[in-house]
Amino acid sequence: MKIEVKNLKKRFGEKEVLRDISFSTESGKALGLLGRNGAGKTTTIRIIMGVFYQDGGEVLSDGKPLNREQIQIGYLPEERGLYPKKPITEQLIYFGLLKGLSKQQARDSAKKWLERMGMNEYKDKKLETLSKGNQQKIQLAATLLCNPKLIILDEPFSGLDPVNAMLLKDVIREMIDNGSAVIFSSHQMNYIEEFCEDIVILNAGQIAVSGNISEIKRSYPRNIIRISSVQADKITPFIIRSAGDEIESAEKDSKSDIVTVKLKNAEYKNSLMQSLLQEGFDIDCFKVKEPSLNDIFVQYTEGGI
Amino acid sequence: MKNIIKILKFEYLSCVKNKAFIIITVFLMGIMLLSAFLPALLMGLLSEDKDDENGQKPVISISSEVYDKALIKSEFESLFTETEIKVTKESINELTKKVDSGDYEFAVKIDNELKFTYITANNSLFSEDYQTISDAVKSMYTVKTLDKYGISQAETDKIMNTKVTFETVTTGTDQSKNYLPVYLLMCVLFIAITTYGQLVSQSVVSEKNSRAMEFLITCAKPTHLMFGKVIGSGLAGLTQLTVLLLTAFVSFGTFSSSIIPAEISEYIQLPVSTVLLALLFFILGYFMFSFILGALASFASKSEDLNTLTAPVITLLTSIYMIMVFMCTGDMVDSTFMTVLSYFPISAPMAMFVRATMTDISVWEIALSAIVQIITIYLLGMLAAAIYKIGVLMYGNPPKFGEIIKMLKMQHKANQK
Repeated sequence: MKIEVKNLKKRFGEKEVLRDISFSTESGKALGLLGRNGAGKTTTIRIIMGVFYQDGGEVLSDGKPLNREQIQIGYLPEERGLYPKKPITEQLIYFGLLKGLSKQQARDSAKKWLERMGMNEYKDKKLETLSKGNQQKIQLAATLLCNPKLIILDEPFSGLDPVNAMLLKDVIREMIDNGSAVIFSSHQMNYIEEFCEDIVILNAGQIAVSGNISEIKRSYPRNIIRISSVQADKITPFIIRSAGDEIESAEKDSKSDIVTVKLKNAEYKNSLMQSLLQEGFDIDCFKVKEPSLNDIFVQYTEGGI
Repeated sequence: MKNIIKILKFEYLSCVKNKAFIIITVFLMGIMLLSAFLPALLMGLLSEDKDDENGQKPVISISSEVYDKALIKSEFESLFTETEIKVTKESINELTKKVDSGDYEFAVKIDNELKFTYITANNSLFSEDYQTISDAVKSMYTVKTLDKYGISQAETDKIMNTKVTFETVTTGTDQSKNYLPVYLLMCVLFIAITTYGQLVSQSVVSEKNSRAMEFLITCAKPTHLMFGKVIGSGLAGLTQLTVLLLTAFVSFGTFSSSIIPAEISEYIQLPVSTVLLALLFFILGYFMFSFILGALASFASKSEDLNTLTAPVITLLTSIYMIMVFMCTGDMVDSTFMTVLSYFPISAPMAMFVRATMTDISVWEIALSAIVQIITIYLLGMLAAAIYKIGVLMYGNPPKFGEIIKMLKMQHKANQK
């Protein structure tokens, strides 16, 4: 199944909140939807969910308008909350029923997900008696109850301790492996890098950058080399001496055995590596320095809103 | 449609399982049973109190120099049936002592033909003894005076006890007999519409406050959520109302029939048709106001905002109720103004109920008013769902009326695209 968002436009009064937003994802893949607060992520998600109508553009599934009654969508909103005064199983069954499951299916699914989340002992408790982290796990169970083909997770890891974050990561990985398409919105870039092959960065209602993460990273100049070696002290003067015309700078990190070399031309990388090996230096690591997702995010969104 | 049923079932069960709801229902049932049972109990206790510990009747002493003993006895015995009448010639001091010691319930010293002194240990606020004694003295004076003119006591009694009988033939609705039950049911109608309407608004605001709405709105359409919520809470209200009405029927039927005099009970009879009309107009009125209250509540971010948002609607409802009260008490239920109100959707539930039960109107008039109300309810339901869709995801200060209209127009435009 391929989900496509094409040229979405949305206005709230005079304010244009989305301008020609387009991206796509498919079964078995995760897409990171990034942006600063107010960039338009939640509005985009709400349009996909059918909560808001778009002023322009369309949301397609395999080329046809997305039929939300046929394709199960699981949504974990950023603003968490279920019924605080209701027993957990009772409300999970209710949400399952609303998602089109039969009572038995809803009951079985609720049981399955409560067990998977390690929350079985709380099944008859009221939601308000649980800790915030555990309430979030219940909310995730409610999201996944209907075995959704499209999962939209808005800041799924906020408020989770490392153990619960690990559990959630396993569950998301499982859902992706089982063929669900996941749209992931988070400010925690490490999770995005871990799950998503593709990203979309929104800035002030429009796409600042989108595509495959590796390709985006590769699109940056690859002329900065990081060399890790116990002989870092000797490597730095050697590079300056032997390749002074080819480099802009070569500096050893004062706190570690890492030398950072900025080449005038990225293609000189292989020659540099060969000359270091020929000289007999003991090299632990020779790597092109790529920008982190965080660097990319900051670069594209700084001053945007 | 399936989702509406699921939502209404959830809302209904949430309401009827709610502890506060159960407690209020049981409390009101208790109040009804008690208010029906208490007068019977008190009357029983009071009638037992009349006899003293030895089972003897309390004694009333009448001291008189001016009236004949037999006349006194016959007059007072007919008026104080639960006591023993003792006619003496005791002085005020002697009577006071005996009343004080408890020998006499109370005593009366007839000073002259039209003046008496009433001696009692405790003068109750609610005592009507003065008036009764006064009537007895007046009657004795009449008998004595007429006797002077040669008219015997028997003849006097016959003349004075003559009764005029009458019958009323009502070709339409007898307002005098309907007034009390209709007035009470109208009060119930007003309270029920207001209370159960507020159940809906409370439910909306609590879902929004707990942020459950963020999730819920992606599971079901706003129209389904709104209709399910309103019907579910309405059925819960109807359940409570039915339970309370049944309790009222059973308890008042069982306990009160024996103690309420026939002349009074004639005025508190509740025909089934009146109850059915009350239920019909409760349902119509409830839906109309619940949709409005539910839609307004969707703009409240927290419970505190709710009062400000719903106050105009509650005020409007109260005003309609007050107008109905004025119409009933001012005998204007037949007026043109009332006819207009009974077809104007917002006031129709109460106005048509009053007209249908207190005046003689055709069934088609009731049907026409009900149809007008049903159409209004449908339109209000759709409007409420549209407002609800905008409101539930809006946080912060509630928007102004003009802003809501603007947003609705924008949404309508977006829907058309």
